[in-house]
Amino acid sequence: MAPAYLGEFEQLLLLAILRLGSNACGLEIARELDARAGRAISRGALYTSLDRLEDKGLLRWKVAAGTPERRNLPRRQYAVTPAGLAALRASRDTLLRMWRGLDDVLKEPSR
Amino acid sequence: VTRRTPRPAGAGRADLTRPPRLAEWILRRALPGGDSGDSVLGDLIEEWHARGGTYAAAISFWRQTLSIAVRYRSRRTRPDALALPDGRTTRIGLDNIRQDVRYAVRSYAKAPSFALTILVTLALGIGASTAIFSMVNGILLRPLPLPEPERLVFVNEVGPTGTGVSVSWPNYLDWRARARSFDGLASSRTDLLTLTGVETPQRLEARRVSGNFLRVLGVTPTLGRGFEDADDRAGAEPVVVLSDEFWRARFGGDGSVVGRLLTLDGRPHRVAGVLPPGFRYIRPYALFVSMSPHADAIYTRERSDHAGHFVVGRLKAGVAIDAAAAELRGIAADLQRDYPGSNTGISVAMQPLASRVVADVRLTLVVLMGAVGCLLLISCVNVANLLVARGAARQHELAVRAALGGSRLRLVSQLLVESTIVSAAGGAAGLAAAWWLVRVLVAVAPPGTPRLDEVRLDGVAVVFALAATTICGVAFGAFPAFLASRMTGQETVVRGPRGGASAPSHRLRRGLMVVEVAVALVLLAGAGLMARTLRELMRVDTGFRGDHVLTLRASLVGPQWPQARRRLFFEHVRSGVAAIPGVRAAAVVSRLPTDGSDWSTPFISADMPVPERRDLPFAAITMPGPGYFDAIGTRVVRGRAFTSADTEDSAAVAMVNESLARRIWPGGDAIGKRVKWGWPESPGAWREVVGIAADVKYEGVAEPTPLQVYIPITQETPRDIAVVVNTTGPPSTAQGEAERVIHAFDPDVPVYSVRTTDEMLAASMARERMAMMILTVFAAVALTLASIGLYGVVAHGVTERTHEIGVRMALGAEASHVVGLVLWQGLSMAVIGAAIGVGVALAMARWIQALLFGVTATDPATFGAVVAALLAVAAVACYIPAWRATRVDPSSALRAE
Repeated sequence: MAPAYLGEFEQLLLLAILRLGSNACGLEIARELDARAGRAISRGALYTSLDRLEDKGLLRWKVAAGTPERRNLPRRQYAVTPAGLAALRASRDTLLRMWRGLDDVLKEPSR
Repeated sequence: VTRRTPRPAGAGRADLTRPPRLAEWILRRALPGGDSGDSVLGDLIEEWHARGGTYAAAISFWRQTLSIAVRYRSRRTRPDALALPDGRTTRIGLDNIRQDVRYAVRSYAKAPSFALTILVTLALGIGASTAIFSMVNGILLRPLPLPEPERLVFVNEVGPTGTGVSVSWPNYLDWRARARSFDGLASSRTDLLTLTGVETPQRLEARRVSGNFLRVLGVTPTLGRGFEDADDRAGAEPVVVLSDEFWRARFGGDGSVVGRLLTLDGRPHRVAGVLPPGFRYIRPYALFVSMSPHADAIYTRERSDHAGHFVVGRLKAGVAIDAAAAELRGIAADLQRDYPGSNTGISVAMQPLASRVVADVRLTLVVLMGAVGCLLLISCVNVANLLVARGAARQHELAVRAALGGSRLRLVSQLLVESTIVSAAGGAAGLAAAWWLVRVLVAVAPPGTPRLDEVRLDGVAVVFALAATTICGVAFGAFPAFLASRMTGQETVVRGPRGGASAPSHRLRRGLMVVEVAVALVLLAGAGLMARTLRELMRVDTGFRGDHVLTLRASLVGPQWPQARRRLFFEHVRSGVAAIPGVRAAAVVSRLPTDGSDWSTPFISADMPVPERRDLPFAAITMPGPGYFDAIGTRVVRGRAFTSADTEDSAAVAMVNESLARRIWPGGDAIGKRVKWGWPESPGAWREVVGIAADVKYEGVAEPTPLQVYIPITQETPRDIAVVVNTTGPPSTAQGEAERVIHAFDPDVPVYSVRTTDEMLAASMARERMAMMILTVFAAVALTLASIGLYGVVAHGVTERTHEIGVRMALGAEASHVVGLVLWQGLSMAVIGAAIGVGVALAMARWIQALLFGVTATDPATFGAVVAALLAVAAVACYIPAWRATRVDPSSALRAE
């Protein structure tokens, strides 16, 4: 089966989860995207996108216990599935193939 | 990037303890349940805490809440219609249906007029049809409240001329002895009995029955015993069994009444028992009495005497009614051979008891049922029309969804849910309307309608209404979805969102409109014919005064009323009532106009040869006292009326009506002719005709005038009489005084059935009046619905053609031309519908003919008027949108494209 095609935002989400490792919960993913990609993202978009990636089988989550500051509500701890990794890999390969040989054209003007 | 804007503690704090409650509530509703939803809520709360619970945190919380609410809602509704690639959401699960219901309710709430129109239409249609169905069901369809009613049959004899007659008692006894098809055969007849020896003497309708009567019907008294075969015999003590109603009304439900003696027609009767509540035999009888007082009567021996007895039988289990009827016919044939003198030409007719009970009202109810069917059909057509119109407006949306892969099943299911919701709501509203209408109908039903007390909104009617609504919703709800799923993507794109409805849905709507108009015309024609009938009935010359006349009945039954005393009573009442202030004239008489048939008697005339027996003329006999014709307002055409000089000792005289005079002595003069009543061989006085009276409608206004003979009351002295009081003021004011005059002679005389002649006339037209009222209401509703429907279709057409009309106007089309164009679009449907309706109404003419009077079911004038009225209303309904079409501003119509 060919790996699923990933949109740019989906790539960012999966990468953020990989970066955060065992710390990958909703709040931290939002902060990571904000800090590293400069994306202030609405929670509606965040959670529905995560759900969609889950529907596609690219990530999964397990429940972690809540803390008092979140009224002991459960926390979802996300992880990228092998299919997710394959999809990321395929996306990177595609992009790299497309980038190859274009360094001169895209080179930033020297100061 | 720093987003945190920490504030000093205490500054701008809304509520330190928790995020905004309303936002949290919205979140909980928007988010899915379980861990996934809870975790999102937890994240937001944690973030709110992290931001220090400030106003800024609260605002952020709100913003995120709204973004989640929007995203999750669209995520849940859109993918179903758009069908995800893996196709998982195209199944119809409970969730989907719940979603559809919510979606439907929301969309109806947005356009309440649509839902309301459907609701009102269905409430009207279902309400009226369920109410009438309850009536018909209660009176016609529901089995009699007797055990195994389908085994009960009603038997009468048939005379040589083919008319039904009552069963002679000796013949009945022979059937009972010979027939093998029955578990029992019982004979009974109606007797009017006078209850005396009580405070208010009372005239009671009783059924005189053979001893096995209650056993055959399968009824057991709730108190005491029923009848036994021994009660038939001469010399047995007369017994009476009370109906529950009479027992409660007269004795207050006192159980000790069993065993007591009641004086009926001057003879003591032992109360044997009380019947269960609700028991009926054809009509509500107050009492059932045993045969023993009649056991010696001549009619129980004389085979040729058909004395009003009719037979009810209980078929043996498994015996078909036809087989039983054949057996009785065979026995009747044997009896014809055995007793040629009395039984020649006498045969038997049998029918289910249930059909005999409702024989008189069946026709009315069948016509009403037809009207109801029409109304329900119109309602359904109207609803269908609305649903199809709505579907047409949404066709683009549906087609886009279908083109994007929304499954047909899913689209259909959503539309079905939508139409089922309105149908169900309409059904509920209709049931409420029906509940109310049943009460109204029972209240306006002609008095004496059988089984009226059994009419109630029942389970069958409810099922009927729900079935009607469901079929309505299912049949037409899905239509737009089918159209949409058949449409190709190209069509969709070419048409665009404003492309308007497709040709099939236009054709369907126009077809539905034609049906609706046709049905409305059928109802209108029925209402028109009934209105004509009533008008004709009211124009009939009844031969008596309809105003200022009060009538009271009394009966003089029993050994205490010998002939001489009855004559004294007649004279006492006449002179006493005439002396009441405000009374212009008073008289006694043996029967009143519109009473219905009394026994007819054959007669012969002295100046003519005696005809063959089967050619003998029959006449009804009425016995008026002096002053009767003056008091009731019947003209004496020739000769004289009876006077006080006509006594039992004076010459035997008679009067005849004009019909009889014309029939027997055409072209000659009846006055002075001598006639005799009874069979030619029977002894009887020859009477001289002294006067001719104008024809009077004795049998009822709609019935032909019978040949009528009058004999002075003093020369025949009937026991059942009526007092006719002609007043100068309102007739009812004389009632009290008249009763006092009667009771001054004998307080035991029961006075009953006090009515004005006006009320008598109204009662004799009650059936026609009720049919007309209901048909008129139905026709009005149908016409209203049809014109609303027409208006809707034409207005919709105008909206869709706004662009075209704008172009026409811009190119210089006259306003009148545009009006004509649009008008014709609507009127053509009305004209086709009317034409079909006329055809259907003519085809159904024979069903209604029997209800009509003075007008044929194909009366051209009525049909002309009805078609004109319908087209006029249709023209108005179409003119409004046509006029609006001329208001179209060409420039804006063109810009809209």
